[in-house]
Amino acid sequence: MSSEPRAFAAVDRGTATVAASLIGRVAGHWRLLGATAAPISVDPDALLERLRGRLVEADPPLAKQLGLADPEGVADLPRVGCETTAPPEIAVVGATARVAAPLAEAATGAGWRVHRVVLDGASILSSAAALANPRVSAILAGAGDPPGADERPLLADLTALVGATTERRPDVVAVLSGGLADPGGRYEAAIASDRPGATLLAPSPTVGGGGPLRELLDSLRGGEADGRRGLAVATGTLAGVLGRRVEVVEVGQAAGVRVVATPGGPGRDATVASAVVAEAALLPRGFGEPHLDSVVGWLTIPLDRLRVRDRLRELAVSPWGDAAGEGALLRLAAVRGAVRRLLEATPWMDAGPAPDVLVAAGGAWSVAPGPAIALALADVVRRPGVRALGLDHARLLAPLGTIEDPDERRRVITDLRDELLVPLGTVVMPAGLRGGRSVGRIEVRGAAGSTELDLVPGGLELVDLPPGERAVVELRFRDPVTLGPKARHFAVEATGGLGGLLVDLRDVPLRLPERLERRRDLLTAWQAALWSGLDR
Amino acid sequence: MTGPAAGWLAVVPSRPFVEHGLETRFPLAPGDRSLVDAGANVAAGDPLLERLRDRRVDETGLPPDAATSARAGQRWTPETRGRRRPEHVVEGELLAPVSGGRDRWRMVTGEHRDRLLAPVPGDVVDVRPGAEIRLRTAGASLTGSFAAGSSARGRLELATDPFGELRAGGIDVGRSGSILVVGSRIDAEALTRARAMGVRGIVVASLPGKELRDFQASERRQRAALHPTPPFGVLVLEGATRRRIPSPVMALFEALTGREVSLLVDPPALVFDDADLELPPVAADWVHVRSGPSAGAEGRVVAVTGLRRFAANVMLEAARVAIDGEGVVDLPLGDLERFV
Repeated sequence: MSSEPRAFAAVDRGTATVAASLIGRVAGHWRLLGATAAPISVDPDALLERLRGRLVEADPPLAKQLGLADPEGVADLPRVGCETTAPPEIAVVGATARVAAPLAEAATGAGWRVHRVVLDGASILSSAAALANPRVSAILAGAGDPPGADERPLLADLTALVGATTERRPDVVAVLSGGLADPGGRYEAAIASDRPGATLLAPSPTVGGGGPLRELLDSLRGGEADGRRGLAVATGTLAGVLGRRVEVVEVGQAAGVRVVATPGGPGRDATVASAVVAEAALLPRGFGEPHLDSVVGWLTIPLDRLRVRDRLRELAVSPWGDAAGEGALLRLAAVRGAVRRLLEATPWMDAGPAPDVLVAAGGAWSVAPGPAIALALADVVRRPGVRALGLDHARLLAPLGTIEDPDERRRVITDLRDELLVPLGTVVMPAGLRGGRSVGRIEVRGAAGSTELDLVPGGLELVDLPPGERAVVELRFRDPVTLGPKARHFAVEATGGLGGLLVDLRDVPLRLPERLERRRDLLTAWQAALWSGLDR
Repeated sequence: MTGPAAGWLAVVPSRPFVEHGLETRFPLAPGDRSLVDAGANVAAGDPLLERLRDRRVDETGLPPDAATSARAGQRWTPETRGRRRPEHVVEGELLAPVSGGRDRWRMVTGEHRDRLLAPVPGDVVDVRPGAEIRLRTAGASLTGSFAAGSSARGRLELATDPFGELRAGGIDVGRSGSILVVGSRIDAEALTRARAMGVRGIVVASLPGKELRDFQASERRQRAALHPTPPFGVLVLEGATRRRIPSPVMALFEALTGREVSLLVDPPALVFDDADLELPPVAADWVHVRSGPSAGAEGRVVAVTGLRRFAANVMLEAARVAIDGEGVVDLPLGDLERFV
């Protein structure tokens, strides 16, 4: 982006939809002028022109001041943009399942779609066929360091197979990890050095909790202006700007992304951890019965499994279609399943304290009303604590993350901090509640007065707290509970949002009835409180 | 509301009506043999590849001069020794060296081979032994949503109108060799009957998941049989829930009736020679409703209206559409599709 433009455009091209935003300089600050999204077949220029037209209709002097009074204004706009593509595919091969599992976990967290190949007990033919898969662009082969007794007899075959695969596919990237990553050793020597594909020696997945291997594999995914990397960078900047721990869960058509950023203090960058998980896509490839279960389990409409499967196939074909009515409910059920898979695939990101701000991002969330999104987040992100909930409604975070100059990026995000996220509310989620009619009292003191409620375990209490308002929440429990620290008495500040204050006294983790009808009734009751106009 | 100004239609989702230069893939398992080389031009019906039906792995020794240059994926014919007759010596593909050197290799081979003929004309882009053959097709292609079975070629015939449904009883041997356009939907029983009657392919607007799974199970049983079966594919144009075939597509099928066309599975498409074919015109403001409660309806976009509230209190960008034979309604932009 050039220095000091009067306006710029941000474009996020996803795998299913494209989002475009106009940002202009108003009274010395960057402000979001408009945002919209459309199916991926729509040219972003057409969307930007539409936004420009709306600005001209709404505020002609501002449009003129920003140089957007004429259609040519859009063509000349500086842009920040990013693109997300379907995750590339990698074959992860090990002599035994014990060795292959951590390798596969590292590759999964690094944004690859993983084909796991275990030599022990498999035929050489099926292993060779899996490695020769033309959709695979990289091979990750590993062994223990030093190799274990169970894998040593198979290492020669492993080396021969990997070497043979690089002969069939000279362009494939070969990554040797752990015991195979001996510089100049016999494993590396088994792969021709004069082929077009790279051969890399990588750390073992046991080193640094798998972080160094994940980072290396992430760097191999390629893709300039990658939206998922942009999302991680922007989340780090946002955490620094807000001075709070921020977690983003993005659900897209091709993958899910989780980013956790902790502010680094004055003059220091935020610490950012991120993972791209193909299995956490809205409808992952190889969609099977467990995936269907994960959707049906959250559905509040009585559809049989065949019908749900057909509706989901339609959703896969037209991810932007059927977004109203039952389609919205189905989509949000699928989103809940995807977030669950995302969290299950990234347990190492739960190590730190719970986030202060939890942000939903990605096209999959965008059609539901704000309070319904707040409920969905509370349903699936079950960590005790108090956190503000937000929605990256304009899908601005990822493109802003591609601004290379950190100071410029920080300035833009600082200006846009109140417009980047739609405030969904605050969720208070204690854990370790004992059963009974009441476990304590809550008092919410805000600008509009004070509200006092009994704390009844198993329920979901809603307190009206509109966007822009703040309140002090005082909770007194009869017995100690976990809300970050473990105590009986807590006083926390809550920010308002479309969903208000959600006091979530349900189990952590959430336990739902096994019987589908009872489960549906319970989900419907919770949903009815937060999703108005469902019957229209 | 945006009036019918130049360019406003650009925000209505679209897809190409037909495309050219589609690239299709034919999978090769280790041991399968490509009968074409990269850069070759193939005509429909030319031998494309040989598939092994009884795949096995043998070990074979290589003479020193061959061992130095041997590569995985290379074809290899073991030397005959003693009184073994040449017809009993089967060639195969080098899979991987036996550990400890490059003079002994594992080789994939088999006795029984099925020859696959090219279902579509085009240029061979790439041949990757043990992986795939990629072919850039000649002619135009109409893309579908998904497909099942195998790629096939036949003459196009219309079996029903765009709203119709073909039952098993309506298919006889008179349809042998054809690719049938069967309207809005078909069930697995009719698909298996069509295959048994020698039909080469089915083109349908929608196929429910249950029928798809039943058909795929039937396909797996067919492939497990000893005798090779003729290729048979199903091309689904729209999705899983019932709707009509869009009228411009139906007009194209009417123009193609009686001509040879190719039904491809990866990617799902119908390929045809458009050299002397006049494609049916599609008005710029024509749309069909691709998804949602009105799926299958067609009409003209009158205007793009901005955000509107739809069922379940969902706010979506909308367009005003004059539905054929009905009134003017606001529909979510995401549910609409134009052909360009």
